[in-house]
Amino acid sequence: MESAGLLDGNHQLSLKEFPYIIRWRDDRCKRCGNCTAVCPVKAIEPTVKIQRSVSSEGPVPEPAAKKRILHIVEQVKDINRYCTGCATCTLVCPNEAIEPEFNPQHKFLHFKNRGGDSYKRGGRRNDPALSTLERLKFTRISMLTDPALDAGRHEFRIRTLLGRNLSEETLPLETRDGKLFVRKDELFVPPVREIYPIMIGSMSIGALSPPMWEGLAMGVAYLNEVENMPVVMCSGEGGMPPRLLKSPYLKYFILQIASGYFGWDEIIHALPYMVEDPCAIEIKYGQGAKPGDGGLLMSYKVLKLIAGIRGVPLNVDLASPPTHQTKYSIEEAVAKMIQSMSMAWGFRVPVFPKISGSKTARAVLNNLARNPYAAALSIDGEDGGTGAAYNVSLDKMGHPLAANIRDCYLDLVRQGKQNELPLIAAGGVGKRGNLAANAAALIMLGASAVSIGKYVMQSTAECFGDEYNRCNLCNTGRCPRGITTQDPKLYRRLDPDRIADRVVQVFRSADTEMRKIFAPMGRSTELPIGMSDGLSIDDKAMAERLKIDHAC
Amino acid sequence: MKQKKTQKKTAGRPQRRTVTIRGNVNGTRISSRILEEQIQQAVSDGAQKLHIVADGQHGIGGRIWPRDEAVTITVEGPVGQRLGSMGMPGTEIVVRGSVSDDVGWINCGARITVLGDVTNGAHNAGAQGILYVQGGGGARCDTMMKYNPRFEPPQSWYFRDVGDSFAEFKAGGIAVICGVNPRNPENVIGYRPCVGMVGGTIYFRGASQGYSERDVKLADLTPQDWQWLTTHMKDFLKAIDREDYREELSRSPDEWKKLVALTPAEKGSWKKVKMAMPDFRKSHWYEKVGEGGIFAEYITHDQTILPYITTGENRRNRPVWNNEKYLPPCAYHCPTQIPSHKRASLIRQGKMKEALDLVLQYSPLPATVCGQICPNLCMQSCTRGAFDKPLNIKEFGSLALKQPPPKQAKKTGYTIAVIGGGPAGLSAAWQLGLKGHSVDLYEAEKKLGGKLELCIPRERLSNKVLRKELSRFQEVGVTVHLGKKINLETFEKIARDHDIVVVACGAHQPRTIKFPGSQHALSAIDFLKGINFGEDFSLEKKEVVVIGAGNVGMDVALQAYNCGATSVTAVDVQKPAAFGNEMEMAQEKGTRILWPRFTEKYDKKAQKIHFTDGTSLDADIVIISIGEIPILDFLPPSIHTEKGWIVVNELGQTSDIKVYAIGDATKPGLVTHAIGQGRIAADVIHAQLMQYDYMHEVRQVVPYERIKTEYYDLCRFDVFEPKKEANLCMSCATCRDCHMCEETCYWEAISRIEHEDGSYEYIVDEEKCIGCGFCAGICPCGVWEMAENV
Repeated sequence: MESAGLLDGNHQLSLKEFPYIIRWRDDRCKRCGNCTAVCPVKAIEPTVKIQRSVSSEGPVPEPAAKKRILHIVEQVKDINRYCTGCATCTLVCPNEAIEPEFNPQHKFLHFKNRGGDSYKRGGRRNDPALSTLERLKFTRISMLTDPALDAGRHEFRIRTLLGRNLSEETLPLETRDGKLFVRKDELFVPPVREIYPIMIGSMSIGALSPPMWEGLAMGVAYLNEVENMPVVMCSGEGGMPPRLLKSPYLKYFILQIASGYFGWDEIIHALPYMVEDPCAIEIKYGQGAKPGDGGLLMSYKVLKLIAGIRGVPLNVDLASPPTHQTKYSIEEAVAKMIQSMSMAWGFRVPVFPKISGSKTARAVLNNLARNPYAAALSIDGEDGGTGAAYNVSLDKMGHPLAANIRDCYLDLVRQGKQNELPLIAAGGVGKRGNLAANAAALIMLGASAVSIGKYVMQSTAECFGDEYNRCNLCNTGRCPRGITTQDPKLYRRLDPDRIADRVVQVFRSADTEMRKIFAPMGRSTELPIGMSDGLSIDDKAMAERLKIDHAC
Repeated sequence: MKQKKTQKKTAGRPQRRTVTIRGNVNGTRISSRILEEQIQQAVSDGAQKLHIVADGQHGIGGRIWPRDEAVTITVEGPVGQRLGSMGMPGTEIVVRGSVSDDVGWINCGARITVLGDVTNGAHNAGAQGILYVQGGGGARCDTMMKYNPRFEPPQSWYFRDVGDSFAEFKAGGIAVICGVNPRNPENVIGYRPCVGMVGGTIYFRGASQGYSERDVKLADLTPQDWQWLTTHMKDFLKAIDREDYREELSRSPDEWKKLVALTPAEKGSWKKVKMAMPDFRKSHWYEKVGEGGIFAEYITHDQTILPYITTGENRRNRPVWNNEKYLPPCAYHCPTQIPSHKRASLIRQGKMKEALDLVLQYSPLPATVCGQICPNLCMQSCTRGAFDKPLNIKEFGSLALKQPPPKQAKKTGYTIAVIGGGPAGLSAAWQLGLKGHSVDLYEAEKKLGGKLELCIPRERLSNKVLRKELSRFQEVGVTVHLGKKINLETFEKIARDHDIVVVACGAHQPRTIKFPGSQHALSAIDFLKGINFGEDFSLEKKEVVVIGAGNVGMDVALQAYNCGATSVTAVDVQKPAAFGNEMEMAQEKGTRILWPRFTEKYDKKAQKIHFTDGTSLDADIVIISIGEIPILDFLPPSIHTEKGWIVVNELGQTSDIKVYAIGDATKPGLVTHAIGQGRIAADVIHAQLMQYDYMHEVRQVVPYERIKTEYYDLCRFDVFEPKKEANLCMSCATCRDCHMCEETCYWEAISRIEHEDGSYEYIVDEEKCIGCGFCAGICPCGVWEMAENV
């Protein structure tokens, strides 16, 4: 047995090791406890301090000691309760007395492996530097050389095609009496959807809280029904509630199937009752945030609702393996899954795989190009977000998006299939808030559409997360905003109407910005997919790599 | 050209006559620049009527600066673009036929009548003046129109219809589209008119197919509108020679509509909502997915929004007043579990008698054990120890010396035999006696006290104190049978005659090791017992080696010096287990401790002890002090033993339900362990006899960091004064009723309530509490704890 408190600083971390340091102001604090009540990780706590001072006011040394007991709010120096910088404390402080401050000298990763546990988190790659996407500029402005269009005045058709877009000659079409008919023969007419080129990417029910997911879904429905913008959203892995599956709004949703096959029995049960086909089926093979790693829903998020929808026991970690089981080659994996999923809806629904950004993307694409049922290829780059992953996967694994999309597009061009097989780009789109610019740049590099996730969290639900590892608690079920939690006390902080409203606002604004980009380049009726002559970058090597112009 | 001008000038002022200017002279088209010069010249020469036969020239009829009289220009032939552009007040242009694009461009006041069609961009940016069109307009007519308050607003009249993108960015002026014989009967105002329109009015008659809803709104004509329209209609129809349509066009305001720009306020509201989201949710979403949304079937809670700061069941955490849920370190680490914090609390309250009585409820020998020989694990663990120095619990123990025994309970009629009058037996007998049972205590020796009496050097334990406490022990009505050695036979008889037997016989059989010469060694217990019994062990000028450097070995060393030994060396095979007072006292006398030393042999003759490492020590006397094991030859086989010890659980129960065993008979320990086991066994026995379930209380120790030492001053006084000392106790895990929580809670959620029995409690108003944890963070005693609010 040791005497009480024999040790003091031994093996203790100093505050300087922590990524965020709480700045608390005694002179402002009224000790209401709002901050400590909301801190999601209990990184701050009320405690007692003593101040002691000696004064001497007389003409000769006349020491008088004074002590003062203070109740303060203190940052905890326990790495398991590190301040994530979310600043919920700041949000609720009535006196602006508390605020976390980023500490660039921190050694967080040196210590966030206590107990031998590697650091897991949500969010996206922690790299605040400018990405390639941010450096791409639109430099071909039509002044007098081409008929310049006016973004405010001209009508735009910002639409894209999702599905195998075969040329007229290769389709079994014929014209009789001025009308178009599909010939009844063996030829397959691939399903194609006309959608808005920015879609909401796959975030599962489970990863997201009910009001967050429903808010997004409702916003998407509103955009379609009221705003006439055919924005679609992918379910993520984890199924969908039967109520949505059986509603006519299903047509605005892409159903995702991933290696865990969560929620798919419910989807199949709902099939006979579906009044609409889903927009498409996405087969998830990889995720940009954690390439080569599987899906993971931590046990504290697997509560009644999620267990019900997914068909799993309560409070268990739900892992989707990194690979689909029983598929032993790329040929088989892709062909088998596409066949099955196409067959489920009578070959009426586009089916496409999603992979993480990788040097191997071109091989996958090459394979898809030869599969007549493949409807697209979605590539999720290294800046993609996730609800839970190992930090090392998030930070160090994956391929930057721009070159990956560009290579794939140019491969399609070489095969003459650039208008046939759409590429969907995802991962880090809107990372710095420039949604439309990032989307337009990717489109001009060759993507037919882009998919957004983290940006939506941030812009519609005020997600705190950023690339300085702020918050990023998505995996813990303690999201202070209520976005990625299954705890009603937290998720009831979200108003689904507000989320939906913001979805609408975000898309309307992005739509305007897309016009502001495309109009001066003289494009309005067709999306400028692969119009790379309009792009430049200020880095010679990047320009060469992307086969675009170098401008500085 | 110059020549021509000169010619005209020399021809004298052309007074009030019609000047005809030809755009094509003898088959040669003259340039727009020349035609313009000729027109300007003619006007400056005083011409008021010009007749122009155009040949596609640009900008005919504009820029004729106002003068006293009007200038009338008639135009025929193919005109070029921008006829009448920058036209000024006082200019009146009549075109006998259709015109090309941009007629009336930036019109600043000219009246332009086109007896045909106008093509694209008619009256583009027109700010004043009038455009009358007998036919229809092309695309983008009336765009960028202005209204300058210094002038009358511009007017554009179209007899038939207009083309697409009409009135874009129109900021003022009045447009009238009469819709007579329109080229597109489905839509007289063209495709998508009024984009960016911010001012002015468009009257139209006939079908339309929409307009820019974010800019303008459609309305019926007011009487004022109708008045204006019918009034000004006359001039228009007259100008374009269609007066016969007057009746048709003036038939009814119901045939007309108007488009006016939205006000900034209206535009703002349009931008925000086409349909409010709550309305969409109710009328679309719930309609299609079901009431309550897509998750309604899975959710049981209210679908209302919660704020970040919540109370009641919506708090994430809630405070709990866990008074005494944990043990303070002193009580936790005390094998007797004496609640020193409660004793201090009673002393603070001035209840000295109750405080000392409390201790006697735990131990019959507080002055002997706590006050004299115990290593005081309580003090070693005292929270205060890290702060300044531990609470002087030792002295608190001594305080109880003269305290009379607590009141005994009513006799129960049960009889219990305790075998052994050492600390364990005394403790069990004391507790059982206090509980009202009849206890027979059997002691082999002539005196009570066991090793306290027999082995511990008097120097360490004042015999006076022990005697005093033993005499108090005898006041609780325990029948003591001294000099009563127990054998199997007597044991069985005792067992038959009593309801319960407690075996507390201690360990008195010295453990020994065999090595050549070991037969010449003494055992520690015999040595110590001998001394306490007054046997003469003169060790004058003797060198003593003690094998085994535990605390008993230290006592042996101490006594050896007391007997005159010149040197004492204790050896051990491992790091010596001795600690505390025993070790200090022995070392003060000069005891050396050597380790590791494995004894090889003892050469009695040479008076040398040899160790396996080749070293040796001079040793006149060798005393083996490696512990004792119990003598259990009196136990029946139904009581299981293992390796020489009685097998018991943590409650002292043996394999025989009637027999309990405690103290060194079960495993070696401190005196305080023996006393603690005696108390627990007594409690269990009591429960067994009185037939209730004994709940063995296992409480955790409160973590040090929960105690807020900051509230306390560093203590610098040395003299023990019970009241002052008690005040130093930090009351770990036990409420000291200081009201700190009540005072601190910003939400005034905490209050103190007193119960009828005088006890109190701090309670939380759940509807006020936000679960901030201030109470838990600042509680001096670590009583408040935050729990997850599930």
